[in-house]
Amino acid sequence: MTPDTPTYPILAAFATVLFPFIGFLLSALAGKKAKSGFLAIITIALSVITAGYTFAMVWGEAPIHAQWHWFTIGNEAFHLGIFLDNIAVLMLLVVATVALPVHIYSVAYMKGDPGIHRYWTYLSLFCAAMLGLVIADNLLLTYICWEIVGFASYLLIGFWFTKDAAAQANKRAFIINRIGDIGFLIGFALLYSGFGTLDINALFGMEGLFVVPAATDAPASAAQGGLPAGWITVAGLAFFLGAMAKSAQFPLHVWLPAAMEGPTSVSSLIHAATMVAAGVFLLARIFPLFDGTVLLIIAATGTITALVAAYFALTQFDIKKILAFSTVSQLGFMVAAIGIGMYPIALFHLVTHAFFKCLLFLCAGAIIHEMQHLSDRHQLGIDPQDIRQMGRLRRYMPVTFATMLIASLALVGFPLTSGYLSKDALLIHAFEWAAWQQGVAHIIPYVLTFVSILTSFYIFRLLAKVFFGPTVTAPLANGQAGIHDPSFWMLGPMLFLAACSFFPLFTLQPLHYAHAWLLEGIGVSTPWAPIPLLHVAVPAVTTAATLAIAALAWHWYVKGKYALKTDGLLYRFSLHQGYLDSFYDRVVVGAVLGLANILRWLDKHLVDGIVHGLAAIGRGLASIAGWIDRQVVDGLVRLVGKLAWGLGSMLRHTQAGRLQGYLSSLFLIILVILLYHFIVQA
Amino acid sequence: MITLTHFLIVGACLFSIGLYAVMARRNAIMVLVGIELMINAAVLNLVAFGRYDSEHYGGQAFALFAIVLAAASVAVALAIILNVYRHYKTINPEDINHLKD
Repeated sequence: MTPDTPTYPILAAFATVLFPFIGFLLSALAGKKAKSGFLAIITIALSVITAGYTFAMVWGEAPIHAQWHWFTIGNEAFHLGIFLDNIAVLMLLVVATVALPVHIYSVAYMKGDPGIHRYWTYLSLFCAAMLGLVIADNLLLTYICWEIVGFASYLLIGFWFTKDAAAQANKRAFIINRIGDIGFLIGFALLYSGFGTLDINALFGMEGLFVVPAATDAPASAAQGGLPAGWITVAGLAFFLGAMAKSAQFPLHVWLPAAMEGPTSVSSLIHAATMVAAGVFLLARIFPLFDGTVLLIIAATGTITALVAAYFALTQFDIKKILAFSTVSQLGFMVAAIGIGMYPIALFHLVTHAFFKCLLFLCAGAIIHEMQHLSDRHQLGIDPQDIRQMGRLRRYMPVTFATMLIASLALVGFPLTSGYLSKDALLIHAFEWAAWQQGVAHIIPYVLTFVSILTSFYIFRLLAKVFFGPTVTAPLANGQAGIHDPSFWMLGPMLFLAACSFFPLFTLQPLHYAHAWLLEGIGVSTPWAPIPLLHVAVPAVTTAATLAIAALAWHWYVKGKYALKTDGLLYRFSLHQGYLDSFYDRVVVGAVLGLANILRWLDKHLVDGIVHGLAAIGRGLASIAGWIDRQVVDGLVRLVGKLAWGLGSMLRHTQAGRLQGYLSSLFLIILVILLYHFIVQA
Repeated sequence: MITLTHFLIVGACLFSIGLYAVMARRNAIMVLVGIELMINAAVLNLVAFGRYDSEHYGGQAFALFAIVLAAASVAVALAIILNVYRHYKTINPEDINHLKD
């Protein structure tokens, strides 16, 4: 492979990014005429084809790298390029494949929205940026795409910007993502200052500066790089901060539940493949950078996120909020997988999660759509997203129910689903890692297992309340609701994704992940010996727990024998999402506003005061100068005038016109002259 | 004996009286008289110093000139006074002050 000759896979990958971008440009140019979304769908479909071709050409082969000179600063040349390895083409294919059903779904879901032309424009930009991020060959390009992804998500979350909540939500998403962006920026600035290159292949590739050693927890980076080991840790933490914000890790996860204010189809895209996946993808991309400390922090953060988010999801009533916290929780799983050094498994979970989480959101969108119709038709004025208003929907929307059940089973990791493969892989490796690791790390796999049981509870609670349980909404209860499964444009993508949520897409062995082509392609090498017992015990325990929890949820929510008090501290803590929002509002927003007030006060009193003081001094000086001008300069002139005038008025008295007076003075003058002569000559 | 000094003293006295008359009198005719006195004082001096020029009698000759000129000037002055009187109906020099600014 020569870096300068573009090969067909490179061109195909480039086209994959280019198509949605062209779609974006054309939609933006067409303006209000681009209502149908035809452009966006065609371009993303073309992307899927080229991404598929790229995937087929590159997967399992040697990485392909092409780059072109971009610009030069001083003596440092920057390159623009495409780097295709297994991870990149996998993500390329997944992003495009998940984006296509969402696009098709949006045709029906967004029909009639007055701003739909904007929707297609933003969606194309969003996909183009994410696809670009995946194949970028250096961190600067990645960062640019990273920012565009953030910006496009800002636009989409605030798509209904006339709603105050949506405007608040997109502002929050943007600001929290900025925090992460600073981390990313610091990270790659540190790397550049240490190594003088941002090329991903040169830094993290097979023969890069950070060669992955056999033991994954001890990168050899410190010895080879131009950066001291301490700074490597800092850089790792900085990159992780970026990923934390993008992938909604605790405590920066608050933007993701708030992002539910966007259209549901956008939520599904953000949650499945385009936005939150970027953080996990970045962590996998730069994995060799992380040393033991950073990895432990990553694992701990991921575990805490998984636990906290699952806990918050238990009591939410907004169907999209539950799914949002579910995503945060699953992202916690992925990040924890990165933390234990198993980034292939994190990516595996990312891919399986992309399909079933996208499906969950599309189902939720369908339900919300129908509930909105119901509410409008009967003038009920109910919140279409509140699961307390729903119930017995299985009768009305059987296909939606079936697809959502499949997605939920995949989410909890039930056998025969894709989620089973990835989640068990994750848990088993976590246990093995903990056994290999010493100390408090032992907690992590147990917490993760506990979280997967919580996951079962909240998703079965959702299913039971929405599809089975008794309802307070009268038309639903008496069978007169008149709602039904959505049209083919929405159902088609849902069925496609449901098919993708089963095991055959990933391996033909339904009960064991070991031969999944995805893991084999990326290559999992563990420094620890496998513990055979776990490979049986973990799936058995989680499956049994899932069944037990399903029975419990059925008992509680369908039979109506709810057994818990709803005013306990734990319950309220969960319902209010740990009061994190109010905490941020008080502490962070309050502090910023307070600071702004102080600054405004300073501005008003100090800065303005200085300016006013200077002005007063200036005025004072001017008045002194004015006084001098009037009194001294003018005074001199006037003095001369007055002197002349005085002299004149004094002398005019001698001109009395009296002849004898003149003669007298003549005589006196002569007398004086004579006397003078007389005295002088004497 | 009568010396030059006596003549000069008499001349000075005449000049002073004439000057006083010119400066102080309220009648233009008397001012004219004062002028005549001052001219005669000068003439007296000319005649007195004339003894030092016994060859040409320059002093006496100048005295004669001066007397003639004085007579002419008196005639002119009287004519002026007459016209002033016609114009102002007075010959008091105090009242004729149109020369002032």
